[in-house]
Amino acid sequence: MASIVRPTMMQRTCFAAASKRAFSTKLSSSSPAINTSVLSRKAIRNAFTKDAMPSSMRVAAFHASGRRSILPALPQVIQGTANDPAPVPPANPSHGSYHWTFERLISAGLIPLTIAPFAAGSLNPTMDAILCGAILIHSHIGFESIVIDYVPRKRLPKTRVAVWWGLRAATVLVGVGLYEFETNDVGVAEAIKRIWKA
Amino acid sequence: MASLRKTSRLFAAARPAVRSNIRSSARGFASVQSSAVPPSPDPEAKTKTFHIYRWNPDEPTSKPRMQSYTLDLNKTGPMMLDALIRIKNEVDPTLTFRRSCREGICGSCAMNIDGVNTLACLCRIPTDTKQETKIYPLPHTYVVKDIVPDLTQFYKQYKSIKPYLQNSTPPPNGKEYLQSKEERKKLDGLYECILCACCSTSCPSYWWNSEEYLGPAVLMQSYRWLADSRDTKNEERKAQLDNSMSLYRCHTILNCSRTCPKGLNPGLAIAEIKKEMAF
Amino acid sequence: MLAQRAAQQSLRRLAASQPSMLSQMVFRNTMAPLAVSSSVLARRPTSTSTIQTQKLTPADSYEILVAQRKNRPNSPHLQIYKWQITAVMSIMNRFTGSVLSAGFYVFGLSYLVSPLLGWSLDSASMAAAFAAWPVALKVLAKFAVAMPFTFHSFNGVRHLVWDMGKQFTNQQVIRTGLFTTGIATVSALALALFV
Repeated sequence: MASIVRPTMMQRTCFAAASKRAFSTKLSSSSPAINTSVLSRKAIRNAFTKDAMPSSMRVAAFHASGRRSILPALPQVIQGTANDPAPVPPANPSHGSYHWTFERLISAGLIPLTIAPFAAGSLNPTMDAILCGAILIHSHIGFESIVIDYVPRKRLPKTRVAVWWGLRAATVLVGVGLYEFETNDVGVAEAIKRIWKA
Repeated sequence: MASLRKTSRLFAAARPAVRSNIRSSARGFASVQSSAVPPSPDPEAKTKTFHIYRWNPDEPTSKPRMQSYTLDLNKTGPMMLDALIRIKNEVDPTLTFRRSCREGICGSCAMNIDGVNTLACLCRIPTDTKQETKIYPLPHTYVVKDIVPDLTQFYKQYKSIKPYLQNSTPPPNGKEYLQSKEERKKLDGLYECILCACCSTSCPSYWWNSEEYLGPAVLMQSYRWLADSRDTKNEERKAQLDNSMSLYRCHTILNCSRTCPKGLNPGLAIAEIKKEMAF
Repeated sequence: MLAQRAAQQSLRRLAASQPSMLSQMVFRNTMAPLAVSSSVLARRPTSTSTIQTQKLTPADSYEILVAQRKNRPNSPHLQIYKWQITAVMSIMNRFTGSVLSAGFYVFGLSYLVSPLLGWSLDSASMAAAFAAWPVALKVLAKFAVAMPFTFHSFNGVRHLVWDMGKQFTNQQVIRTGLFTTGIATVSALALALFV
């Protein structure tokens, strides 16, 4: 008897949990398209599966699904039929291959620029400004790629635009601030050195 | 294994193998009854517990859950797929999963076993019976039922890279395009891919952006045609990938190469594409 | 065994020739197990020949598929995927990079607005303020800055090596990962303690 009762109880708790969830990805159960007569045979099958639950099987509610997850996956929607290929975006090398090459050149260039102050003890103002600018560009590209990864354009179009332009504004302002610092103070490498040795 | 066979033969003897709706469901019930009540605990039994992800589309409002099954490993084949088939045959006929070849060539039984994507038929059951095995569908896929994921988007993306030979000029000898041994060798490690989607669904980048990022499996197939000396549409193929999403969401995490059940290296293939497209 | 097969074969032949007789046999054979689950029996048609079927247009079946898709749950991912060195090193690379860059941005912006707010963020006063800290705190703060810096730098080199198409086998990935973590920790400790 217990084996028959348990699954139904489990379902009830699951229902309760699902209705409490704020960010539930499920649609409401009363979807009209589902309740067509074609699918009405499900009642018969359900009755059977419940009866067939033997006592040797333990059932646990699934806890790993994201109750707290940020941006849970939306209900599945597929554009076109299974035989249509996924749409191909137009070629845009400045956000593709050129961007990648530029990013690698900046990253590779940062290696000697980082080693130089360690080796020489200090940098001349020009080299220091180049180092500063390279770090700024590298940071900007890094933040950009975080935004592309985690703020999907299709799902959060307004947030995406806001974050995108916010990041650009921040980078420009930081650039101005660092220009001030470079011109009025001792330079980034030298400043870090002085603070480090303080 | 011997006892397994015995029971299945007993069933065959008890009832003729006629298929009908009534029969198959009734048979499932009967077999559940017989295995659910073991006569007495076997002292030499190596019992291992399997927790399996369950979700039934006939109850669309219920949440997915984990269901536990206990098997005696002495009576089970060595691979995870053997355990799953035994559970389906003897314990719970409602458990649903894909399987076909049972030898790692069809790619149907790709699933997440103990946290790593692999083919159930190529994955040995760890003999440590204290460790409980957890089986999930491929990560961040939409679940059709239990451990059956929907791979429509994956196949649509595969189709979008035009996975066939494109050559506008007829072969010089009028029969076939010839390759040198070196040219053919470039395709080794690429053509063996069985598109089981283990690598793509292990990639966090693909989890977050599967609508636009192609994922390791499809990109490796893209490179398989880029590397083919007989294919002349290299520039078109590269132009398809030359945007911020299709290829460059790859951040060389390398979960793909780590998980490939066929021992291939999608990460390296993607790096080769990036190298070819640079400058 | 042979007798069983023969029986099955003849039954199949029978099924092909006389479907009505077959359905009767099926019913008789299944009476016993079905009696257990009477609820099933009550709702089932008593003969296979009376099962109701419905005609569906392709458009209708597509509608059903679309509706079913919307109910499908998304399988678990980050919570259940094993934390392997590949993904851990990658997320740490992003995390350390973000921390360093965020610090860089915060300093740049604060320096820009410092004249308006009256903060003194010139290097001399910052060095003087830092010098006043207790030694343990100074070492801790230096390590907290040096560790992300060394990790991101050495792992960045590892990424550049990958971009050249080298060190891609699983063994090499694990080995370079452990080596990078080790050398980053050692150099960060050295920077915090001895420089």
